[in-house]
Amino acid sequence: MSLSTLPKFKAAVAARPAELEQARKNGRKVVGWLNYNTPEEIIHALGLIPVQLGIGGDDKLVDLGGSFISTKNCVYVRETVGLFAENKNPLVALSDIIAVDATCLQIYRVAELIEYYFKRDVVILDVPKNPTTSEGRTYFQKEVAAFARVLGEKTGTKLGTAALQKSIDLYREIRATVQEIYRYQAVATPVITWREVRDVIHARYSLDPVLYLQLVKELRDELHVLAGATPYLEDSPEVRIMISGSILPPGDNKLIQLIESNGGRIVVDDTWSGLVPFLYVDVKAPTPEAVAEAYLERVPHGALPHLDLKSDRRLKLQHELVKEYHVDGVIYHTLRYCDPYTFKANETKELLKQIKIPLLEIHTEYAGSDIEAIRTRAEAFIELLRNRRKKFGQQKPKAAAVA
Amino acid sequence: MSRPDIKVEKSQTKEIAGKQNGDTVIGIDIGSLGAKAVLIANHSVYTALGRTGLYMQETANDLIGSLTDAAGIKRSDVEYIVGTGYGRVALEFPDTPSRIITEISCHARGAHYLLPNTRTIVDMGGQDCKAIRVEDDGSVGDFAMNDKCAAGTGRFLEVMANVFKVKLEDLGALALSATELVPVSSTCTVFAESETISLLARGESPANILKGINYAIAHRIGGMFARVGLQTDIYFSGGVAKNSGMRAALEERLDARINSSDFDPQLVGALGAAVYATDYAN
Repeated sequence: MSLSTLPKFKAAVAARPAELEQARKNGRKVVGWLNYNTPEEIIHALGLIPVQLGIGGDDKLVDLGGSFISTKNCVYVRETVGLFAENKNPLVALSDIIAVDATCLQIYRVAELIEYYFKRDVVILDVPKNPTTSEGRTYFQKEVAAFARVLGEKTGTKLGTAALQKSIDLYREIRATVQEIYRYQAVATPVITWREVRDVIHARYSLDPVLYLQLVKELRDELHVLAGATPYLEDSPEVRIMISGSILPPGDNKLIQLIESNGGRIVVDDTWSGLVPFLYVDVKAPTPEAVAEAYLERVPHGALPHLDLKSDRRLKLQHELVKEYHVDGVIYHTLRYCDPYTFKANETKELLKQIKIPLLEIHTEYAGSDIEAIRTRAEAFIELLRNRRKKFGQQKPKAAAVA
Repeated sequence: MSRPDIKVEKSQTKEIAGKQNGDTVIGIDIGSLGAKAVLIANHSVYTALGRTGLYMQETANDLIGSLTDAAGIKRSDVEYIVGTGYGRVALEFPDTPSRIITEISCHARGAHYLLPNTRTIVDMGGQDCKAIRVEDDGSVGDFAMNDKCAAGTGRFLEVMANVFKVKLEDLGALALSATELVPVSSTCTVFAESETISLLARGESPANILKGINYAIAHRIGGMFARVGLQTDIYFSGGVAKNSGMRAALEERLDARINSSDFDPQLVGALGAAVYATDYAN
């Protein structure tokens, strides 16, 4: 079944570069942002146009980026540098200011490089590596306030309380609506696929948030009509897979294709290019400090240390998603040299072992040289999950220490 | 039609005697170097082994032809075919019911068919190594594969055989004749080759160097068992399993005895595929 709203996202994304060009001619400034903790609400409330940067899956851009940054950085980071070196991606080319939060230090390094080599106007938002402490929180509140001030100074704008409240409300509604849509792909007989929802999520990278909200609401309403107002998550005939680990940005489809072509059904992810940024954001007041507080309350990025595993919200979310989405197995995807998620694979593995959910680790990059090896792993993992279903029915997760 | 480079045999292995029902099925394992097939027919097991070559479908058809000729049956008598191995994606059998299964599942099933107490498999093939944990019904419990590296693979050993100017099948005996172990630091095919040449130039004996190479590879492979867990009984499958030097190094590294059978370990994936084919034929 084809959904009439989906082509509208595609058309809007295609039309966006021309809109951005026109907006710039009219004096608006475009802020391209990278990483995980950049508060879009602040950028939007300043009257600036936020666009999220970063794509994956293009080995030529990785090679190009590798001329400027060590090849011991992850391919996403190298491709991001390659994007700036090439400067053909419309979102990159049309960004007046590049905002980078220092959640992942490799991406922070990108900020330094693009300023040095490509003379881009870069604003850094530092992110504390002790986000659960009061000192870390206070530091981030000051950082977000400074971020708003610096952006304002660069663009001749000032953050107003009413504008910020409006932006907070806008993004809150976007997140809630996307969360609602996300569940529809995971029902037993879906009218929308996980991959289509992923495309919807990635459309947010470029679209004006007001238009984006309008489109996601339209899609949500269409789904209501076609599939009912309350998507019920239950088991389904295909093996149900969760993808975890490193970023899977727009364009990085290698693993997804290999899973799907072997009969696996992805029903949920906890990547920072997927569902996670839409979860658990509750800005309680129209101030930069409250925005900072809300962002630190989200599910943390893997690059932020969290040594007490029992209170790790990332692991807690994984456990919740496995249960809620009736997951048979988890594919933990890491990009070569993506140290945060590679090092944390074992934590996820231990959690899943406790609840008897199989895990497959895939360590890869964007080159096609490992496709057959990954195909064999993914196919064998799906065979393993099918055999478990035959033998035991779907494994119901047990309580784990983090729950 | 038989191809001269394909070696066909009727298996006399005691571990599989009497286990066949009346089905006529074939398992085909098209690996990166070796192409293997097992025919179960007339309550007997026939095996075929050749080089994969460039044209995998053609090789598969040649293997089937060799086996059906040996068993005195027609291809149309074959009830079911299961294809596996690196070349499985290229296989099609339009005239026979068939299915494609990964070599990981097939090695587990084949080893379990031979030796039902098998719980862990080391599979060292032409281009990769795998550690497979086997459930008590022959299904896969967990697995790990080496990552983008030829260390410990048939391809790696071919390169080494070339360096030592010996036949591939003689590498095992050569390593076992070592009087001491010369440490080899690299398991990368390219670096190990240059390191080996340096060691030979220094006057080290080929046998001692080869023993060092085997131990370096065994050490590396040992890491995969940390991921899947090592449970006895252990079985060693794949073409490299014929290498007695590597087997000895693995046993020492894993501190465990590796079970063996008269059945050619290189054919275990094809055997598992044939066992799966028997399931599907019924």
